[in-house]
Amino acid sequence: MTLPNLQDYHRPATAEEAIALVQQHGEGAMLVAGGTFVHGLEVRGLLDNVTALIDIGRLGLGGISREGDTIVLGATTTLAAVAAAEFVGREPAFGALRDALTYPPPQIRNAGTIGGSVAAAAPLYDIPAALLALGAVVRTTGPKGRRELPLDGFFRGLFESALAPGELITGVAIPPPPARTAGAFLKLETNANDLAIVSVASQLTLDGAGRIAAVRIVLGGGVGETYVRATGAEAALAGQQADDKAFAAAAKAVSGDFEPVTDHRGSAAYRRHIAGVYLRRTLTTARERLG
Amino acid sequence: MKKKLITLEVNGENHELAVEPDESLLQVLRNRLDLVGPKKGCDSGGCGCCSVHVDGRVVYSCMMYAAGAEGRAITTIEGIGSAATGLHRLQQAFIDAGAVQCGYCSCGMMMAAKQLLDTVKQPNEDQIRLAIAGNLCRCTGYTKIVDAIRLAAARA
Repeated sequence: MTLPNLQDYHRPATAEEAIALVQQHGEGAMLVAGGTFVHGLEVRGLLDNVTALIDIGRLGLGGISREGDTIVLGATTTLAAVAAAEFVGREPAFGALRDALTYPPPQIRNAGTIGGSVAAAAPLYDIPAALLALGAVVRTTGPKGRRELPLDGFFRGLFESALAPGELITGVAIPPPPARTAGAFLKLETNANDLAIVSVASQLTLDGAGRIAAVRIVLGGGVGETYVRATGAEAALAGQQADDKAFAAAAKAVSGDFEPVTDHRGSAAYRRHIAGVYLRRTLTTARERLG
Repeated sequence: MKKKLITLEVNGENHELAVEPDESLLQVLRNRLDLVGPKKGCDSGGCGCCSVHVDGRVVYSCMMYAAGAEGRAITTIEGIGSAATGLHRLQQAFIDAGAVQCGYCSCGMMMAAKQLLDTVKQPNEDQIRLAIAGNLCRCTGYTKIVDAIRLAAARA
């Protein structure tokens, strides 16, 4: 690989050491976990200013734990380890995360990490869309101590997040989903190597009468510089009976929720159309998962 | 750039190496250890012909920094079998099923298939195709490759 200004590859043993190295190298510091995103930037010549790679694989940030009913995915937990977790495979509420984890091929699932997928701040990544639908919270540590940042509002622009200089992600906490909650995720891409045209993550909570008590819809892919909460579609669904009529209304409303790009992969009009189709499909799947 | 002194465990043997900090695992395997089974294809994590196992799981060796692979067990196609030591059943099945055209993707395909056969004894066609979803055959010879993986599973 080629990083023309790289001076050293560090493998710190503690988060404190990692933070000190990031501060020492400033703008030239690049954190590496699975390396898949770093490599993607490198081959596009976007890392020519990097002077130090700081590998966080030895910080002990991998693994899945429970704090009461909250599930904590350690930052360096691989996508494969999350996909293999029993609750991800079984519980309808984790349906969107389960679906999103099927898109990367095994080689990426075995290397890529949860923290990396969030830190990348690229709406083309599937996993954070599902985590946003789950209402996840990012946990960080840095020069000023630990912070908890809701994923809603974490992404500020393409490759830009709420992380402060020297701050690193230690994990992602998922609050317990309410009863009768299910999710689903779908993505359209021209092929498995290309960037997503549109992705949709939906999370539905129904009350005893089959009405929508809570809903979160997240759009990703080529829908803008960051993920988009589809607030218009959510408003169209809130309090409604979870039937095809309500889903069709939401599919119509979602086209006003974002300003998609037009490029060789698809026009803005096409992306709006697909967002509606995929929203309806994910809502239908989520409803089916509730039985 | 400061070279890094590392010890890499490849196919059960330890190698002491001085590597560049931005050298990929693929570069080290091919250029320093003469293990040319893993191929350089797209060199950007898309085609899969550089696939190797790290701690028993298949990864793209082009995307992994060699300095970050220290302390992990790396297995290349050379490590699963050879004409001298006896072919792995996947290697034999690829020959018998005629699953090789130009051959450039074959080593990566077999390493991806090996993870599947290590975990699923009798995979169905969907499982086989998903297992090699991260590997491109530019000759488009997928049908014979799927046949070969099924044959290898049947011979277990």
